[in-house]
Amino acid sequence: MSLTRRDVLKLASMGGAAAAVGEAVISPAQEHIPTPPRDAVGMLYDSTKCIGCKSCVVACADANGLNPDTRVDHLHQAPNDLNSFTKNIIKLYKRKGGSGQFAFVKRQCMHCVDPFCVSACPFHALEKDKVTGVVSWTAEKCIGCRYCQLACPYQIPKFDWDAFNAKIVKCEFCKERLAAGKEPACTFVCPPKAVIFGRRDVLLKEAHRRIEQHPDKYFESRVYGEKEAGGTQVLYLAGVNYDLLGLPHLSPDEHPSNWLRWQERVLKYFALPAAIYVGMVSFLRENFREHEAEMDEEHKKTGLMPQL
Amino acid sequence: MNSQTHSDLTVVRWQRGVPVFGMPIWTKNFIFLAALALTGYVLVIYRQVFGLGAATGLSDGFPWGIWKTFNVMTLTALGSGSFPIGIAAWIFHRRKLHAVMRVTLLISFLVYLTGLLAIAVDVSRPWNVYNLLSVFRWNTTSPMWEVLWCMPLYCLFPLFLENTPPILEQWYYFFPPGRGLVVWLVPIIRKTYPYVVALAYTLPILHQSALGALMLLTGNQVFPLWQTPLLPLLYVWAAAFIGVATTIASVLLCCLTWKRPIDQSIMDELVRLMNWLIFPWLALRLLDILVRGRFLMMFNSGLLSLLFWGEMLFLFVPAFYLRQEKYRNNAYTLFRNCFLIVLGGMAYRFDPTTFAYRPWRIGIIAYYTPSVVEIVISLSFICTCICLFLIAVKRLPILPAPLQQWYGMESYYRNFYPYIQMSGYANTDQHRPSYAD
Repeated sequence: MSLTRRDVLKLASMGGAAAAVGEAVISPAQEHIPTPPRDAVGMLYDSTKCIGCKSCVVACADANGLNPDTRVDHLHQAPNDLNSFTKNIIKLYKRKGGSGQFAFVKRQCMHCVDPFCVSACPFHALEKDKVTGVVSWTAEKCIGCRYCQLACPYQIPKFDWDAFNAKIVKCEFCKERLAAGKEPACTFVCPPKAVIFGRRDVLLKEAHRRIEQHPDKYFESRVYGEKEAGGTQVLYLAGVNYDLLGLPHLSPDEHPSNWLRWQERVLKYFALPAAIYVGMVSFLRENFREHEAEMDEEHKKTGLMPQL
Repeated sequence: MNSQTHSDLTVVRWQRGVPVFGMPIWTKNFIFLAALALTGYVLVIYRQVFGLGAATGLSDGFPWGIWKTFNVMTLTALGSGSFPIGIAAWIFHRRKLHAVMRVTLLISFLVYLTGLLAIAVDVSRPWNVYNLLSVFRWNTTSPMWEVLWCMPLYCLFPLFLENTPPILEQWYYFFPPGRGLVVWLVPIIRKTYPYVVALAYTLPILHQSALGALMLLTGNQVFPLWQTPLLPLLYVWAAAFIGVATTIASVLLCCLTWKRPIDQSIMDELVRLMNWLIFPWLALRLLDILVRGRFLMMFNSGLLSLLFWGEMLFLFVPAFYLRQEKYRNNAYTLFRNCFLIVLGGMAYRFDPTTFAYRPWRIGIIAYYTPSVVEIVISLSFICTCICLFLIAVKRLPILPAPLQQWYGMESYYRNFYPYIQMSGYANTDQHRPSYAD
């Protein structure tokens, strides 16, 4: 058997392609554990300390230049949920039946360690800052597909449904204030310091310290946001079940890179699609010639143009 | 019944695409469909001026409506017939299937075109779509990126080129000034064809699976009977058999309405291909549910269980019936069963996006009812697709037929358009383009 240079090249390229596909698809999975950036900022919201004064709601709208949402009674700034005027809201959970149990909850973007919206966004319009970990939105990159809204398990990104130049509205951690060396507006104004600003790792320690101090005060003695879907940078402590406060139960491995693990492997370096394409071309070139010969015979017989 | 008895008496062999001749385009039905389509385009202006909030029933709790979930994620499956049939014909040497390739390619092109229209209407900041070209903004692991790149690319490049031969052929025979262009183009097409066709089989596999991956990122918001890491695979696989079923159904519909002969051997081949795709798919879906430990959910989740069994039975029962020759040989039962399979497959593709999608929120359930504007625009795109299909099928050599029909067409054109020189038939013709040159 004699090998020409062409054959050698062909074999080498085939081997290379096989190796690339193998590397991308068959190699053992690297366990992808989402880790927060080194200087991740965070907020710790303690529901048991919150008095429900909504100062943070007003301060947030003020700091972010949002029009006060007075659509409910045309007088008070009292939105009933996060919306395109509201990046931050205080909600009340009250138990039915008059036992008197209640709890406030502050809803805003969780700034996930591995955010669903960032994985979903086709053009990085939603991006996670590499230093602070703040998830923010850029108008020039957004095409308005609203996939971030569909993907977010916390239902945070809101959309300006009536505007022509529609925007995605969500908490961006007052990034202008951060850049100016100030803390976010909501933590700055909070009278009982129910929500505090700091580094995420420091806040996590603080939360565990509080749990240790009051072992029976907090629900399941756990910090919501420590591990949920890979962790979030906004942390919660509450006396009632987090489910009741609208914070969904998410297991630690339900982060987007886990959901998309096969997708990512199949598309790694575009090795598999390229291999499929090259394989099909090689089959098709051969079969095309064969089928064409038959068409030409028909062409001779009937005098009609062969049809593809 | 005419065509049926005809096919019973003589064995029909489809040999090439032949135009439906002598058929008027402006029929009552066509005018109705075209009017509906135009109404939709007027409403598109309304949607662009007044915004999504005014035109649709969408809300923050339910951000995706039927334009995305039905027109794009569900309907493009109907246009996916070209890749399973093409792969079977070119790679697995099922030569007979070449006869229906033109129909299925036409359906694919039109369905994808309407899908692209739906995306264009749905996307609310369309002036930023130029980002598709700015490489440094790409998020290549986002399924949405894959869909946004892959679908237009597939529709406007390989599918478009694959659909040019009927037009060129029409020019060659019936439009003498275009003949020179055809003679010049045919060798080029011939050289590039394998590369283009291979692309036409790779791209749909990529974006049809990406359409499934879209729902992956919604995580547990989709009911566990549908949500699985295998969703991309199940989606692309479902697209394959829905596409084949659509091809069978639409070819049959054309043959039955216009009394054209039916080639039973090709129908058998297509049904075999479809059944080979459906049964393993059903097995895989059930196996996946069992492995993920959701066995009981198939029975105890109320309406969603009903929906699940509806999908499964709409696929299983017709496919099971079509294993019998009796049902395959009758054009009517064949059509009916393929229609049911299309419905079942569409239900599978639609359910996880809407019925089984339960945005998680306490106390508030997000409901979504499509608005009238939304429905009319969605229908208008479908009508556009049907109108263009009717025009193409009536004017171009697309529907497969026996050779006699081609000669019949020739005599028809000689009678009605004597000024057209039918030189394509004479062996002495110097300009005859050949794929063998």
